[in-house]
Formats: sequence, C-alpha cells, structure tokens
Amino acid sequence: MLSRSAERLYWLARYMERTENTAKVVSVYMNLLMDLPKGVEMGWQQLLRINGAEAEFYEKYKSAGERNVIRFLLSDESYMGSLFSSLSAARENIRTTRELLPDEAWEQVNELYLFAKNDLETVSNRRSRVLFLKKILEGCQRFSGLLSGYMSHHHPYRFIRLGRNLERADMTSRILDLASLLLSESRSDELRQYETILWMNILTALNALLMYRQHVRSRVKGDDVLSYLLLDKDLPRSVTRCLVEISDCINQLPNNDALSDRVQELEDYVQAIDIREATQLQLRVILDDLQNKLGGLHGHIADNWFSRIMPE
Amino acid sequence: MKSIWENYTTENAYDELMYSEFQPRPVSHGLCQYLNSLKKTDIDKRKIAAELAIMEMGITFTVYSDEGNIDRAWPFDIIPRIMDAREWRIIEKGLKQRLTALNCFISDVYGEQHFIKDGKIPSETINSSKNFRKECVGMKPRHNVWANICGTDLVRNKDGVMYVLEDNLRVPSGVSYMLENRVITKRVFPELLQGINILPIDDYPTQLHDMLSSIAPEHIPKPLIAVLTPGIYNSAYFEHAYLAQQMGAQLVEGSDLVVKDDNCVYMRTIEGLEKVDVIYRRIDDDFLDPEVFRKDSALGVPGLMRAWKAGNVALANAPGAGVADDKVVYAYVPEMIRYYLNEEPILPNVPTYLCSNPEHYEYVMAHLAELVVKPANESGGYGMLVGPHATAKEVAAFRKVIQADPRNYIGQPTLAISTAPTLCKGKLEPRHIDLRPFILQGENTFVTAGGLTRVALRKGSLVVNSSQGGGSKDTWIINMEGN
Repeated sequence: MLSRSAERLYWLARYMERTENTAKVVSVYMNLLMDLPKGVEMGWQQLLRINGAEAEFYEKYKSAGERNVIRFLLSDESYMGSLFSSLSAARENIRTTRELLPDEAWEQVNELYLFAKNDLETVSNRRSRVLFLKKILEGCQRFSGLLSGYMSHHHPYRFIRLGRNLERADMTSRILDLASLLLSESRSDELRQYETILWMNILTALNALLMYRQHVRSRVKGDDVLSYLLLDKDLPRSVTRCLVEISDCINQLPNNDALSDRVQELEDYVQAIDIREATQLQLRVILDDLQNKLGGLHGHIADNWFSRIMPE
Repeated sequence: MKSIWENYTTENAYDELMYSEFQPRPVSHGLCQYLNSLKKTDIDKRKIAAELAIMEMGITFTVYSDEGNIDRAWPFDIIPRIMDAREWRIIEKGLKQRLTALNCFISDVYGEQHFIKDGKIPSETINSSKNFRKECVGMKPRHNVWANICGTDLVRNKDGVMYVLEDNLRVPSGVSYMLENRVITKRVFPELLQGINILPIDDYPTQLHDMLSSIAPEHIPKPLIAVLTPGIYNSAYFEHAYLAQQMGAQLVEGSDLVVKDDNCVYMRTIEGLEKVDVIYRRIDDDFLDPEVFRKDSALGVPGLMRAWKAGNVALANAPGAGVADDKVVYAYVPEMIRYYLNEEPILPNVPTYLCSNPEHYEYVMAHLAELVVKPANESGGYGMLVGPHATAKEVAAFRKVIQADPRNYIGQPTLAISTAPTLCKGKLEPRHIDLRPFILQGENTFVTAGGLTRVALRKGSLVVNSSQGGGSKDTWIINMEGN
C-alpha cells in the first residue's frame, strides 16, 4: 500500500476518533454539571484544559462561559481541534482514500459531515445540542462498525486501528489528567462530597462504567478508577488496551523493527505506574509525560511509514 | 391540475422522447405512461430524493474558478434519455470502426506516415499540431493501440441523424457520472426500471480493468495497475478515485511514483518500492514527465517516458495519442476510415471548415454569425463562439482571434441539436442534449451501452459542459424486442 494512503487512513481514523471523543466529553460534561449543585467551582473552562486549548481560546473569546466554550469546541472552524474541524479533516482524508475503503464508509462520513454542517448553529441550545451530539456519536460508531464488518483486516485497516488507538490513548490520558486536577488539594469540601459523581462521569465519558462495576466490584472511588483506566488490559479505552492494539498493529505491519521495541517500552512504562504511591502532583507529571511519549510514538510511526523519502 | 407536459414543444429540434407534445416515441412509451401516472408532488419528491442521494454519495465536480469551493454537487435531471437498442447497435458499430481507424492513423503518424505520403492530409497539419509529440516517433504500443480510452461526443441534428462532434482521445472524463447516474435512477425509480428492458452499464470498471491488463508489458500475468491523478484539487478527482476503487487499482499521484535507473516505474509503499506495470494516466501529456515535456510540471513523474519507451510500463492513453484529438485532424476521420479499413464511415462527421484552408477561411469569415467556431485543441467548451447566440461585438472580437491564428480554428454549421424532456420547476421542458459514449480498445474493443447524456440546463443553450451550466441524465438503451 502507498505510504501516502497509509498516512491519510491513519489521520482519517485519528480525526474520526477525535470527533467522537469531543462529542463524548462535551455530552458527559453537560451531564456532570447538571448533577453538581450551583456554585461548585467547575466551570466550562475545564473542558478547554482537556484539549490544552486555553491560550487559543482566550485569543478569540473574553469569557469561558457555556456559550463561548461550546461554540469554540464544537463549531469553530478556525480552531483545528473543534469537533467540526476534526470531522471536516476526516472527510477530506477519506475523500482522498476512497479507493481503499468500502463505499459505505465514504457515504457515512460524508453524510455525517453534511448533517453537522447543516445543524452546526443548533448547538448553542442545550436541548438541540444533546440531539446533535447523540447523532455524531452514533455516526462515528457506525463508521467504526462498518469498517470492522465490511473491510479486510489487512494493512490499510491496521493503519486505521493504529490512528484510532493512538488518538484514544491520548484522549484517555487527557481526561485522567483533568480528573487528577479536579482532585488536587485545593478543591473545596463541597466538591469533595460529589467526588463519586465526578468519577462516575469520568467512567461514562470513556464508556467504562458498566465494565468497571463488573470488573472492579467495588464502589466507585478515585484510585481504583484511575488504575482501571490506565492499566486494564481489556477495556477498549484504557491506555494499556490502546497500547496493546497499537503493538498488535505495528507487529503485523512490514518494516516495523525499531517500533516494536518502542511500544514495548511504553507499555512497560505504563504498567509501572503506581497510582496509590503517587501524589496528585506526581500523577499529573506522569500523565503529562505519557502524553509526550504518545506524541513521540506518533513521530516514529510517521518517520517509519509515511515518509516519502525511501531507503534505496 | 395542470399537466407536467403543458406547453411542451418539439418544434425547434428533434426530440429524443416525443413526436409531439401528446405523442411519445414508441421507445419512451413506458416512461411517459409512468410519469403521467405520478402526481406532480410525487415527481417533486423523486427529484428531491435524487438530489439527496447525490449529496450523500458525494458525487461532485470542481469548477476551476470556484476558489475555496472544492466540491460542487453534480447537476442531474431525473428524466432519462432513451434510445432504441436497434439504433444503438448501429452507433456502437460506428464507434468501434471510428476508434479502430483513429488508432491506425496514430500508429501511422508515429510510424511510416503513409497517410501523409499518399496526400490524404497535409504534413503541415500534423507538424503544427500541439499534440504531435516527436518523442513518440517509432514507438509501438501493444496491439498498436494508442488511444485505449476514447469519449466520442455525438449529437443529433434536426434531420434525425447522429453526427460525431468530436473524439476525446487525451483524458476523456465523465464515465463515473454515467455509472452513478444509473445508481441514482435505480434508487429514485425502482418500480419503473423493473418493467423495462434496459441494457446494463455497470460492467464498465471490469472492462476497463481487462483492457488495462491486456496492454501490460508481455509476460506479466497479474500486472499492477495504477490510476495516476493530478491530485485532489483536480476537477475530475472524484472520477479518478471512483474508477480506482471500482477496479481495485491503486490511485497514485506523481509524487508516489519514481523511475529508477533500470527504467522501471515504482510506487512508494509502506513496504518499500513496488513495481507498477500499467498506468491509466489522467494527466495531460504536457505534465506527464518533466524530463521530456514541461519542465515545471510538479504533477508528473520524472523518467516516465524513459520507462514507457523501454517497454517497462504501459501508459493509457499512450503519450502522443492526442494528435488525433485535434479539431482539424477530426475533419479527416471519414477519409481515415476509407483509407485504413476500406469501409464507408457508419457515423457521419459534422461538416467542418478549416480556417487553415484559404477557401474555408473566407467562408468562415463571411458566415461567422451563423457558425460555431472552435479552437482546435481546447476542451470543456472554452474559447468557442456560437455565432447565432453571440452579440455583434463578440463576433467582431472573435474575428480578430481567428485572424491571428487560423490553423487553430475550425467552423461548423450551428446544429439544432436534439432535445429531451427535462424537469424545470416542476414542469417538463425541452432542453438540448448530447451523448458521450466511452470506447475501450486494447486486445479487444468495448463500447458502453449508451454513455453519458449531458444536458444544457439553461433554456435555449447549446453548451452542455458541466463547467458551463450543463447537467446530465441517465441514458437508457432499451431493447424493444420481446416487449
């Protein structure tokens, strides 16, 4: 398969995953705010932190109220990380790799894009926003499902899985980062009372609540949730599971020599994280480091397979 | 309720579906009966359904001048154009005959040049053709076929005769729209298609694949086939991707390919370099290889001509094939058929005046306001004059253009090209149409059943090009025998 096509499929999957994650995080966050009492110090700006987009946000908007943050994260075409920008980029990548994918894949992404474009303005209203996000989530799931069911699980598919899981691991680490921030020492007693609700919402954001209950079989509490989302080998959105998927893809792709070892190192690094021993501050440093390492892995993947300059 | 046929007229041109406002031709009887059974709101619903399908399927084309607007939905009219299979079979034969003769001519031009030596065409006409490539002299592509894919434009005049308007032998486009139009029609009129015996068209990608395999360098049993596109901003990118996908071929851009010292073409893959055997190139000769043609081309592949001349890769269409895609050379096609095949042409040419010929030149200049005048080497309907529709000022300006470069212009009578009922604001109105069948020639010759019908959506307009406000229709070749 062409290097250029591999790169576009990889990015297609990353952007679709990012679209889904953004929709998921925003809808869970809305839920969380509805559960918390008025006056609890959790504003909309926390959502900007997850995306590391505070600086860019304040260049354009004065205050981080619901309206502005939602506009920025969902519909702002000039912000590359917005849901609509991600979806547009996914569509551009699939438009230029259609020949490798089943017809339905292109139609699915194209339809979703046309829907989003058409309904973009409705997101300022909470009720229509809920419907909008639901449709986006369904559309992204349908896309993953039809690729899994209609497409040979060969090299092109492996690049899709690679992109999807790298993006997913990155998002999970960001969400955990936010959670540990919210649990930092400075939090108020009032927020402390709602800790369980917070953790349940984190699990929901990663579609992990049911699995957590079945697997961990304890009440929902911070350390257990963090460990579960970092270290569980079976949960689709845990960092470890994502790395297992990445490693599996890499090992089946050609010319993978140096990369196998790098993923292994990263897996070892994650397994060695001990949540109970780490302070909140240390945890945040670890998660930051993890995100950098994921970024590094992306760089190696790009150098290895996407580069146009080939060894003779 | 008013009829959708109200004020329909067949007076100004031959109508493909109707004898008159009230009487359909036998071949369109089934369609008309069906349309008359629908309520007006039902027809509107079908139209909306078709537009939605086009949006969702992402059938688009690009207009070069639309900056920032990459995709534009493909304008489609849901009322099909219909032709009797008995007539079609004759046209099909004529198209095969024509392309066979054209390929004999191209081989001859780059070979012994008997046609010129026997005085059938002035050598000047060939030598001054922009599309004559001296680099190709002496080449012998497989099966002696240079133009493997041809899109021939046909129009029917008021006399009911089908004429060949031009042969597109460089990188003809539109076949994907032909295929998608049928897909849409099947979605929109499923109940109608069941009762009518329409020839299927969906084997085109298979035929294209077979043809491309047949021209691969010999002794390669399973050639690697690639479609070479100028890239994602090209107006026909949708089609390049569509055909690659339908054939299961690689879609490549120039930067994906490299020609090594062994004069073989390779593509850059995740596993390293992989040899390419056949390239269906959708890039003009000019941009194909900066080593040979335009040096500033970033779209092509340096060394591609070397590889082709060494016989290590097949290019479709072969470089230089465009020499026969010249509106001056066009005038000589009937003579080619007689000369190379010893047959009479089945499909007539439109009478053509060559401005390079002094007598013809005088005639064209004296009759500019009645004629259609076209540049010899443009496509897409650019740079032409439709005399009867032009203002005196436009005619005067065009006169100067011709004077400056007579070799590059031809004149033809303005045909009253045929019409077909087209849905315009809930009513059927006659609109002018043409037909572009696609012909494949490699080891064998294949013609699509019908082709792409293009329609000039603007009232009275004769220009059907999509870049100039044209749309398209599904084309039905109906087998009446056994009905």
